[in-house]
Amino acid sequence: MNSFLTNNNFEFYFFGITKVFFVLFSLLYLAFALIVVKQVTSMSKSVSDKFNYILIIFSFLHLAFSVLLILIMLGL
Amino acid sequence: MTRSKDLDTIAPDDIVISKPIPEIPSVQPKKNKIIKTKIETKEPTVIEDFNQKIHDILGHTKNPFSSFLVHPKVLKFTEQDDHEIIYLAVRPHWITNISWFFISIAMLFVPLFFGYLSFLNVFPIQYRLALVLFWYLITFIYGFEKFLSWYFDLFLITNERVVDIDFNNLLNKHFAEADISAIQDVSFSIKGILGTFFNFGTVLVQTASEKNQIIFNNVANPQKIMRLLKELRDLDEHQGEQL
Repeated sequence: MNSFLTNNNFEFYFFGITKVFFVLFSLLYLAFALIVVKQVTSMSKSVSDKFNYILIIFSFLHLAFSVLLILIMLGL
Repeated sequence: MTRSKDLDTIAPDDIVISKPIPEIPSVQPKKNKIIKTKIETKEPTVIEDFNQKIHDILGHTKNPFSSFLVHPKVLKFTEQDDHEIIYLAVRPHWITNISWFFISIAMLFVPLFFGYLSFLNVFPIQYRLALVLFWYLITFIYGFEKFLSWYFDLFLITNERVVDIDFNNLLNKHFAEADISAIQDVSFSIKGILGTFFNFGTVLVQTASEKNQIIFNNVANPQKIMRLLKELRDLDEHQGEQL
């Protein structure tokens, strides 16, 4: 057991498992970002105002950054 | 002496009762004509007076992000009728945003303290950068969600009804409405130091419709809202009487 913890396998498994968790979490976050885009679009349709497009742009920016987060997590 | 003359002498009151009866049909149409002409001439002035009253009560606003929008021309909602005019659109007072605004600002500085967390030093720099990016996304979505909840939390007063539109936590939509004619009672309350200082409070509208209460929390100028609803009810009653 001690030999397992001290050799390089520990780092490999530890960071491997961490990476899997990070990627899964990022995927969940991406799903949430998609819901945000849908919901903001739906809200803007329900109550239309001159500045709603700014909110839609922000929701898409958030989606783009959550995609970037996945790419970063996969590249770790 | 004929029979009728004989009765008249015995009971003279009968003559007084029987005389006006034939005159009634001729009088009634004349009265109706007078009422109709009065309505025709007064109707435009009543609406003009009402618009002037609304202007006097509410004043005017130009900022689209204001929490008290008078006659918003660009604001529309899906359930709105073609001829429906929005007199007032109200959001919770802007001061109610102050807590989440400062929390968001504080959250921006949290990554500066990541270096002090010793367990994070175990991870390579790429992991820590990813964590910082993730933290800023969380910060952004926290502030954005709070802003959206405020921005789309609308209380609308139109010429036909009172509407409450609410989006909670990005996932729930709430819509409630009550006709102006169904409003039974309107009351408001202003509580606390902030409420008194910034003049915002809760407006409670009691209605005769299925949902018997519509509550608007933390709305600016509750007195003005109450006065506007009173004027709308008066106008509605006035129009009802004329019809």
